[in-house]
This record gives sequence, C-alpha cells and structure tokens, in this order.
Amino acid sequence: MAFDLPFLLQILKAIFQAMPLTLAIALVSCAGAFLLGFAFEILRRVNRPLGLLMRLIIDFIRSTPLLVQIYFFYYVLPYYGVVLPGVVVGGMALSIYYSGYLAEVFKAGIDTIPAGQSEAALALGLAPMDVTFRVIAPQMLRNIAAPMGNYFVSILKSTPYLAVIGVAEMMGMTLEIASSTFRYAEPMLLLGIVFFILAATMAWCVRRLEVRLMQSSKR
Amino acid sequence: MSFFDIFRGILEGMDVTLTVTFMGLCFAIPFGLVAGILQHFLKGASRASVTMIIEFWRSTPVLVLMFMFYYSLPTVGIYLSATLVAASTLGLHVGAYGSQSVRAALQALDRGQVEAGFALGLRRPAILWTIELPQMVRAMLPTFVNQLIQLVKGTSLVALITMSDMTHRAKEISQLTFDPPAIYSALLLAYFILLYPITIFGRWLERKVGQGSGKLMEDHGRGV
Repeated sequence: MAFDLPFLLQILKAIFQAMPLTLAIALVSCAGAFLLGFAFEILRRVNRPLGLLMRLIIDFIRSTPLLVQIYFFYYVLPYYGVVLPGVVVGGMALSIYYSGYLAEVFKAGIDTIPAGQSEAALALGLAPMDVTFRVIAPQMLRNIAAPMGNYFVSILKSTPYLAVIGVAEMMGMTLEIASSTFRYAEPMLLLGIVFFILAATMAWCVRRLEVRLMQSSKR
Repeated sequence: MSFFDIFRGILEGMDVTLTVTFMGLCFAIPFGLVAGILQHFLKGASRASVTMIIEFWRSTPVLVLMFMFYYSLPTVGIYLSATLVAASTLGLHVGAYGSQSVRAALQALDRGQVEAGFALGLRRPAILWTIELPQMVRAMLPTFVNQLIQLVKGTSLVALITMSDMTHRAKEISQLTFDPPAIYSALLLAYFILLYPITIFGRWLERKVGQGSGKLMEDHGRGV
C-alpha cells in the first residue's frame, strides 16, 4: 500500500460528496423509526390481543438481520409491481428495523411514568388522546432522550448497508472507486476514519445531552 | 422449487452462520472483559488509549470494519481466511459494546466489597476474580444476550465477503429459481427461528435483573 496523495484526495472528495445523502438518509430514517416505533408502542397498549400481536411483530423485527430485511423489501416489492428506488427501500428498511428497538425504548420510558399521572389526567376529563400526547409523551421524551440518541447514532452507522442495493451513499461511492481502480485498502480505511469521526462526534453529543438532562432532573 | 425446498437449501448455510458466531464469541468475550476491566482500573493516558480502541470498534460501522480488514490486511502481507476476518471484526465490534456493560457493572458494585476483600488479606486480582466478577455476571447477562443476538444478525454480512452462510445461500437459490417472496420469507423465517428463543430469553433476563427501570434504560441504545 504505497502512499498516494492524489488518490487519497480523490476518495475523500467522493466521500464528502456523498455525505449529504448519507446524513439525509439517516435523518429521514430516524424520523421514520421514531414515528413507527411510537405507533407500535401505542398500539401495544390498546388491548391485550393487539398487544400480543404487536409484541410478536416487534420481536420479529428485532430477531432478523437488517441486511435480510433490506433484501426482502428490495427484491419482493418489485415482484408485486411496486418498484421503488433503492434510497426509498433502504430508508424504509432502516425505519422499520429501528422502530422495533425504539418501541422498546418508548415502553421503558412510559413505564417509568407513574400510572397515577394518566389516571389523574383522565379524572380531570382529558380525552385519551390528550392524555397520551400532552401528559405522557412530553415526560417520556425526556426520560428516553439519551437511549433514543444512541439508536440515532446506530441508524447513522447502519447507512452503509444501503450500498448493497446500489445506493450511492458514502460506502456506495467508496466501493465504486474501489472497484473501478481495483484498490480497496485505502478507500475502506479512509471511509472507516470518516465514519468513526462522524459517529463518535454524534455519540459525544448524545452523552452531553444525557449529562445535562440528568442535571436538570435533579432539581 | 417449493417453499420447503428453499427453506432446506437456506438451512444448508446454517453451519457457516453458527461457525462465525462461535468464533466471534471467542473474540468478543475476552475482548469485552479485558477492555472493560482495563478501562475501569487504568488512569490517565493508558486509560485514554483503551477508550480510544473501544470507541474505534464501537463507532465504526461493522460493515465498513469488515471490508476494511478484509481488503487491507493482504496489502500489508497478512493473509487470513474470510472466516477469521469476519469472526474477528464482528466479535471485536460486539465485544466493544460488551466492555461498556462490564465497566458499568464494576462501577456499580459497592466499594465496601473490595475493602472487605483487602481486609481479608486478598490481593486485587483475587478480589476481582472471586468477589467482583461472580456478582457482575448477573448485571451483565442481559446485555451479553442482546449482544449475542447482534452478533448472529451481524453474521449475515459475511455473505458480502463471499462466505456461504444462510444469506448467501438465499442469493444462490435466487439465481436458480425466480421466486423472491418465498426465498426471502424463508430467509427471514430461518433467522427468526434461530433468534426468537434468544430474544425471549433476553427479555426474561432483563425483567428479572433490571426490576428498577433505571438500569434498563442505561442499556438501551448502546447495543446495536
């Protein structure tokens, strides 16, 4: 592996060109996983049969690999005539995969809120929807900000999976250069460093947030 | 090809999936224990370097890690089998996560335990081995089970470095017969059958160990 500055710069340029797409996919998937996970958790609490069904769905999502889920959507949907671009399929798979984990986080977050809160709110005549969204949700969000943040970091770290269905995010771009030059070592090392810096920075922000929230809830 | 044939074909890749999992554990458990213990005991620059190593394995996407080592090691003259590269990268990635629960479990133990050990005339390693570690197992087990699940799921990536695991078998079958719904449902089912019992076991453990939900929350999100 001889040191070759122009080649390294060419790779770095490609990686940085693909960075906005990577971040956009991560951001959209975070939002998707958040909404879907919250919906799963709310449905799980409606009644017992639905609760058991949702639990099975969540466990199914959590017990199968992300790569396989991506393949599933990418190859099965077109079979039924639903042809979507790779980015959409990938974002969908990421959202669904992580919604299973976020539902568990929401569950833990809601469980820490005393039942008296929702009982009191209901007794005061609030509609069940208002109890969920105005009484429980705001308190829950603060409880779960840190673990949720960790999953958002995980979503960012999972975007390279989309390269296997031809999405030109950071890993896809790097693989493209690697396969056209037959040099894999340098592009992969550089990509690793860039991803490490990105994810470590994000994880550091989450830890800062965690510390601040812990301080503010001590008051 | 019937669904049953496809499913049986996919199961032929089970041995590779299991081999990589077991080899991965051989990397993950020692690395997790040693890194977590070192991070707890060391101070200053040596602690920072251990943290750096853990963070490297934790914060870099595992797919990138695997490709990085698979393609870079030969250029510096190290030729390892794909199995070994896959098992070591997956194992160290998962082990780095595990190290954090080792460290947390160590920190959570009452200081009086160590002092009592010293008072009894035990040396520090003996205290760690006979007093602290046995008590930590209880706190660490749920995280370790979750990490095991992540490891098994991670083995699906070895299909991308040409190893014939279950995922790779599914891709091979998809070249013989055009039936994506059956093939990929069978593949999902295969992983689900393998992992669902462990998921249930992990959930049960979590409930048993983490009665106070504070401990539970700490674990969440660190594991994927």
